[in-house]
Amino acid sequence: MNSGAKRWLLLAIVVAFVTSCFSASFNRYYLGVAIDVGISTIMAVSLNLINGHTGQFSLGHAGFMAVGGFTAARLTLTLSSSAPPDSAQGIALFVVAMLFGGLTAAITGLAVGLPSLRLRGDYLAIVTLGFGEIIRVVFQTSETFGAATGLTGIPKQTTLFWAMSVAAVTVYVVACLVNSTYGRGFIAVHDDEVAASAMGISPTRYKVTAFVIGAFFAGVAGALYAHHKQVLKPDGFDFMKSIDYVVMVILGGMGRTAGVIIAAVLLTVLPEFLRGFAEYRMIIYSLLIIALMLLRPQGLFAFQKKSQTRS
Amino acid sequence: MSMPLLHLDQVTIRFGGLTAVGEVDLTIGANELVGLIGPNGAGKTTVFNLITGVYQPTSGAITFNGQTTSQLKPYQLTKLGIARTFQNIRLFASLSVFDNVRAAVQVHRDHGIRNALWRGQAFRDGEAAVEKQVMELLEIFDLGQFRDEEAKSLPYGNQRRLEIVRALATKPKLLLLDEPAAGMNPTEKAELTKLIRFIKDKFQIAVLLVEHDMQVVMGICERIAVLDYGVKIAEGTPTEVRANPKVIEAYLGE
Repeated sequence: MNSGAKRWLLLAIVVAFVTSCFSASFNRYYLGVAIDVGISTIMAVSLNLINGHTGQFSLGHAGFMAVGGFTAARLTLTLSSSAPPDSAQGIALFVVAMLFGGLTAAITGLAVGLPSLRLRGDYLAIVTLGFGEIIRVVFQTSETFGAATGLTGIPKQTTLFWAMSVAAVTVYVVACLVNSTYGRGFIAVHDDEVAASAMGISPTRYKVTAFVIGAFFAGVAGALYAHHKQVLKPDGFDFMKSIDYVVMVILGGMGRTAGVIIAAVLLTVLPEFLRGFAEYRMIIYSLLIIALMLLRPQGLFAFQKKSQTRS
Repeated sequence: MSMPLLHLDQVTIRFGGLTAVGEVDLTIGANELVGLIGPNGAGKTTVFNLITGVYQPTSGAITFNGQTTSQLKPYQLTKLGIARTFQNIRLFASLSVFDNVRAAVQVHRDHGIRNALWRGQAFRDGEAAVEKQVMELLEIFDLGQFRDEEAKSLPYGNQRRLEIVRALATKPKLLLLDEPAAGMNPTEKAELTKLIRFIKDKFQIAVLLVEHDMQVVMGICERIAVLDYGVKIAEGTPTEVRANPKVIEAYLGE
């Protein structure tokens, strides 16, 4: 991979930029879906680092998204009078808000991860599930964040460029981390914690690292989401939203980045296509997922994994 | 003998009312090959787990290389130079043969996240050095040709060998082998005996061998300690131990 990875990242960002230049002529609906796809990709790929590569089971990814989204939106709303959305300051503010959202989510991830990552499997799932609900309730009751109505009138700053670029960065970070001698530790922890520990790998350290990095990108995705939808409601970040991303990871094949990206695209676009079927939409969607799991439990896109011996 | 590499001083561990290991003394010198034997349930694996930091002793002290090791976690002890294999093989099942060893090499490198993300010259040099180191180890143990195969697809004997290679990749001063001959046929056992002696000489390390198979232990160990009901009942050369009436009563004799 080496410098090839960096070249790939640069290329992806250039493509995102060029495409974004023509986005004014795109159908607004499709453009919106494309941005959704970018956000889903960020969420699923970052969750894959936790649930797939490192083998933990987090059900709280939407919680981190909420933390990032609400704090970032609060920041832009507070400062938007001095930095109008279209100006250079406005864009700079948006970038700062994204990083701010990512950081607050990462710090939350650290606070949640340190005590709970000693737990394994089902127990960790329950703790992260509880955490996600707490986050939602905190935003629901906090006047600063608009209580139950949430935040409205968030400036529309998320363009196709930002969604796609951040998605590319997320893929780059996760792929580069895992495909290194350092990163083999994540998979070692996934395979056998006791053996990993005996080989000098600190399982807690790796798990917390995965958790914090995953939470950071979920936070950035939350910021993108907030400045895309322009409205944030605490209800939108319930348990079901976390499940959506878990499904993407499982469907794509745990620990297979390429598969998870395809699953994220598919599961974001599919419900949109099914809109024509109105009330049957969610039934068809659910049936498809059940069928896929029965036919390909290892993940839709989990082909024979080629061993990565060169990085 | 100069300063011992590993020293267990009156080490005791109790689980509730049960004294699993009681006041055990054990000393291993650098580049010594010591065997630990005893009937089922004698506390051999518990001693293993105490040395590797899985359990903390209730009383007594363990020193390694002049340093007290209580309160250290297994991964910290690996850094100090204690490596182990497992009674029931515990390889990283979804990683390739190469990557299993690669994950273990990481312990003495400080190439972290930043390096992996930036992918500059330092990262490339580091990864090339790792590859060289891993391949050298694999070649020594004739596993080079399997580098890209999944660890779990190897035949049993090779999995055992790979586990030893993985432990050696952490550059230990002391290697603990937990029943390495379990499930092996006589030919494989003979090969294993040769392998253990080879490792000791080639890498100049100390080896502590927990083993059921008397042939293996008596054949290669310079010194043997015998445990029974968590207490050390004898210690000496294979010939001495074999002649010890207590040992015969507890373990060998009918």
